[in-house]
This record gives sequence, C-alpha cells and structure tokens, in this order.
Amino acid sequence: MERLPRGRHGLSREFIAQNQRERLLAALAECLDERGYDGTTVSMIGSRAGVSKSDFYKQFESKDACFLAAYDDSVERIRERVRAACGEGRDWATGVLAALAALVDLLAAEPAQTQLVLVEGLRAGRGVYDRYQEGLQSFVPLLRDGAPSPAGGEPPPAATDEAVVGGIASLLARRVLAGETEKLADFLPEIAEFALTPYIGAAEARRVIAER
Amino acid sequence: MDAIAELTAEQGYDATKIGDIVRRAGVARKTLYDNFEGKEEVFLAAFDAAFDEAMRRIEADCAKVEGGWEERVQAGLAAFLGYVAEQPALARMCMIEALSATPAATERYEDALQRFVDLTKQNVPHDDQLPETIEETLVGGVAWIVYQQIRRHEADKAEDLLPELSEFMLAPFHGAAEAAQKRASA
Repeated sequence: MERLPRGRHGLSREFIAQNQRERLLAALAECLDERGYDGTTVSMIGSRAGVSKSDFYKQFESKDACFLAAYDDSVERIRERVRAACGEGRDWATGVLAALAALVDLLAAEPAQTQLVLVEGLRAGRGVYDRYQEGLQSFVPLLRDGAPSPAGGEPPPAATDEAVVGGIASLLARRVLAGETEKLADFLPEIAEFALTPYIGAAEARRVIAER
Repeated sequence: MDAIAELTAEQGYDATKIGDIVRRAGVARKTLYDNFEGKEEVFLAAFDAAFDEAMRRIEADCAKVEGGWEERVQAGLAAFLGYVAEQPALARMCMIEALSATPAATERYEDALQRFVDLTKQNVPHDDQLPETIEETLVGGVAWIVYQQIRRHEADKAEDLLPELSEFMLAPFHGAAEAAQKRASA
C-alpha cells in the first residue's frame, strides 16, 4: 500500500489515520507470513508500514490488538467475496461451487492474508481461538442455507455442514503449511465434490463440477 | 505429564510455569529436570503419550472387528471419541493447546492428523472416482467437530457424536444416496 506524501498535503486527519491503519494491517500480515506470530514485533510492523511506533499505538493497544483487527478484517473480506459468489449460481449447487471457486482463487492470490487466516488464527494462542471459531462458523450458513437433500432421501446428519466447512479449512491450511498456497485453486474439484456430495449425491456433484 | 495436561487445559500453555507443574505433580523441581529439559519437553512427552495411547486403543478396537470396513471405521471412531470423553484434559491439550504451544507441538499435531488420515485410508475401500484428498477433508472435518465439542467443555460427551460422525466418514465411500436410503428405512 502506498505511503502518503510528507509535509503539507491537505489530507484530513481521519483519512491519514484510516490509511495508516490499513497499512499496518497489511504489514502485519506480511510479517506473520515471513516470521510467524512470535517472531513479529511492533517495530517490524511499524517500519514495514512506514508508520512510527507512537502512531502504531494510536491505532492499536498492542500487537495482539493489531492481529485481531487484521484477522477480523481479512475474514470479513473473504466472507463477502464468498457470499457474493454464492449468489451467482443458478441454484444451490452451482452457487456453492462458485463460492468455493471464489474462495480458493482469493486465497491463492493473497498468500499473506491466507497464512494469517488459515494458519496463524489457530496458532496465535488463546485470545484468538474464539475469533477463528466464529470466523469459520460464519461460513456454515452460506453452505447450509437452501441446501437440498439427496433425491428421495433424508437430509444429511446435523453435523455435516460444520464438518464440511471444517474439513475444507483443514485441507487448505495443511496445503498452506506445505508451501502450496499458490496452488490452492487446483483443489477446487476435490473440495467441491466433498462439499456437494452429502446433499446431492456423488453423481450429481460430479456432473455439476464437470459442467463448470 | 498428567500435571501439564491439566494445567495447560486450565490456563493454556504460555501461562503454565515449571513451578506450577512440579507443585501440581508433587515432585521436586530437580526431579523434573532429571527427566526433562524443560517445559516444552514435558509438553511434547505428554502429547506423545496421549497420542500413542489413542492410537493403541483405536488399532486394538479396529482389529477386534470381524465385520467389514464400515464396522472397522466405526469402531475406530468410537475408540477415539471414547478416549476423548475419558480424558478431557488430554484431549484439550492435544487438540487445542498443541496448535499454539510451540512450533514443535504444532508439528506433532500435524503429524498426528496425518496418522489418522493414513489409518482411514487403510480401512476404507479404494475408489478411483473419489477426490484424492477425501480422507484428509473427512479427518479434518471430524477434528473440527471434536475441537468444538472440547471448547464447549463437553468433551465428556464426545461419544454422543458417534452416529453423526460415523455417517459423515462413511457416506462418501458408499454413496450419499445409499446412506440416505439406509436412514430412511432404519
């Protein structure tokens, strides 16, 4: 993100603060990607963002607070993209497929953010567990709402929605840990089949995926 | 090792000090250092012991099954959930605290997950049509449901999850439609 010009520039205080905040959040994600949570300090985040330490503390109480803000911000951005893609399908299955495609494309395109959301979230420690859990759970309704049952059968068991979302997150996180973030989009057919099969059956799921 | 499991379950890994561990365990500080290099060593040893015991029980119960693969997977899952229910502090230590304790602990967790993936692969029928990563997503899904159960402080009721989780694990291997028919006629 571009730094602002120095000296007299007629920019409002709010604008500067907002700009600094965004630069700090982006800098944190980059530092985490390179050094992990414990190896990242407030000074590193500040110098990467081009923001003084005292300006850092005007925005955030601590590294933890900056992390939580970055985390919430990233999850929100991903969820909005996924939610928008859901609406592009002509029915539930094509909507979920479009959403998963948007998800893996976004994750592959922004490795630092992906590391933050999928890996650091679970590893940053106690304060963040709730955020991770809430973040992941907030994707469950996107899958569940409007989900059909397999032709002529009962709906899948209640835990299915959560287990599908958790299973996809686990697979993607493991691939990120293995250094394959840029290849995440390759997993689309596999995770889509995993997600769709409990609701529409394997044959129909494969048909929908092959059509795309 | 029991002491570190209880303490990390109660207050987290970072907040647990060597002093807390020796007090809880009722051993001298020196005794701890005779056996372990430090806190991380105690944690990793406790993790390994708990995971080995879980694996031992799962493999033993799977081996007892005379029926087919479905019964075997179900028996393995039941043994796992039974262990979680019996040892809530160990379960919390291994499935929650290990993720954020230290890089070595995180690696242990990942290795453990991989062992469960391999075990699943060994016990389900091979199907070329299924995604190559199916066992990984299934195991990850089960781990996520159990993770949440532990975080709700309901690890002692983990066995209640057995029907849902075994259906979730088995369905891809005999087709979701077939699974649903079974349910409808049950």
